[in-house]
Amino acid sequence: MSADPWTWIAAILTLAIFSFLYKENPFYRFAEHLFVGVANGYAITFYWHRVLVPSLINPVSHGQKLWLIAIAIIGALYFTRFIPKVSWLVRIPIAVVLGYFSGAYIPRAIDAQILQQLRATIVTRSMFANWQSGLWAVIIALGVIATITYFFFSAKRKGILKPVSRIGIIFIMVGFGASFGYTVMARISLLIGRLQFLLGDWLGLIH
Amino acid sequence: MGFWNKLLKIDRRWIYTIIWLVVMIPLLFPFKIKPMAMPPVTRLFNYIDTMPEDKALVISVDYTPDIQPELHPMCIALLHHAFATKRKVGLLTLQVMGLGLGEAAIRQVTEEFNAHATTHEDSIINGEDYVYWGWTTPIITILLGMGERITNVYPVDYYGHRTESLPIMKHLKNYDDIGIVVSIAGSSIPISWVNFANTQFGVPIGCGATAVSAADYYPYLNSGQFTGMMAGMKGAAEYEQLVADKFDELGIKWELRRKGTEAMSSQTAAHIAIMIFIIIGNIAYFVTRRRKK
Repeated sequence: MSADPWTWIAAILTLAIFSFLYKENPFYRFAEHLFVGVANGYAITFYWHRVLVPSLINPVSHGQKLWLIAIAIIGALYFTRFIPKVSWLVRIPIAVVLGYFSGAYIPRAIDAQILQQLRATIVTRSMFANWQSGLWAVIIALGVIATITYFFFSAKRKGILKPVSRIGIIFIMVGFGASFGYTVMARISLLIGRLQFLLGDWLGLIH
Repeated sequence: MGFWNKLLKIDRRWIYTIIWLVVMIPLLFPFKIKPMAMPPVTRLFNYIDTMPEDKALVISVDYTPDIQPELHPMCIALLHHAFATKRKVGLLTLQVMGLGLGEAAIRQVTEEFNAHATTHEDSIINGEDYVYWGWTTPIITILLGMGERITNVYPVDYYGHRTESLPIMKHLKNYDDIGIVVSIAGSSIPISWVNFANTQFGVPIGCGATAVSAADYYPYLNSGQFTGMMAGMKGAAEYEQLVADKFDELGIKWELRRKGTEAMSSQTAAHIAIMIFIIIGNIAYFVTRRRKK
């Protein structure tokens, strides 16, 4: 059994969280609130020491990059949210952030997530270098077409649209099945991780 | 109330108890499983194994403590692989909560290697063999800035050293010096790496994903935007197996702690239990529905 008090604290908090599986109780609520508080405190500390101090406070206090003061004022306008009379000023930093991130993100996202993904669904002769890759390429192309057809809501599902959208729903269900299977694996993994800690690091029953 | 009706209304706490036991017992009395590496994991391993020696492996520790069991073993396995094959390593995190996890991973692995090192060349030295840049924000600025000069993005490393003064940074200026970036994450951060580092700068991207995210990431594997992928704890166990085989090949004798592999007997038992639950639940549903009719 561990002699480290921090291991004991972690183990007790783990058990407090697990106690929710029995029913809602004060131990669970205490651990939950403690986690939220510690996580926020940790994040704020690092934002202060790793971002604000080296990137803003240090250079400005040494008389360098004074234009950062204007940026800091724009950023500080987020806090006008708390003053109803001037709360409209919050739109300024939101507009700046939205503009910057949209400009930086949208062109690259179109390339990476639409054009390159579309390219990957095009069946070419080289994909038939062996029968397996050729078969998968055809299945992927069919799956994409059928799934998009299923989400084509501006026309009645009759004629060719009906069987193709039926095939589309099969692909969607297979996708859901894969996601569900992976989700089960993920949740079990998290339980295993905690039990490895409780049985190993805390109780010393596994090595 | 018949047996099947009772089964459908069973108190969920019984299910939790069974799952606890099914997971716990194989941890205490494990049965041996040798993970078989799937193609996405093998591709990632082979890429890192064969990439030019002057290129660095960058690990982006983009996970938080809540998903540590799935992803931390991946980080450890990657570091074992990199240091065993004498690769230079750069670590960073785009999640502030990942800072401590990255530090714990690099500390554990360097201590393991240095405990068996007999010469300076065998040792893993901070600033020479690896650098931990730590965390800063925002993500877009980092991902674009690293394409120009890494030391501009990270003027100091996690430990407070000026990055320009570190010997490793003489050969690690920007993406041109990076062989692959492996983003280990439980969020969409690997997609940000694809959008910026891969699409704009052509840097190969590998991914270590939680099992929940894995299904969403397969299209990026198919398109070649991900060089390879480890999915969930099983993916970690597969990579651990490949690293263990590599250790044998290199004649490294010391035993590795393989947390992902150790979990596989519990994972297998739990999956079987859940499959049984699903089958029983469906039988109960159809039997009771027929009786109602």
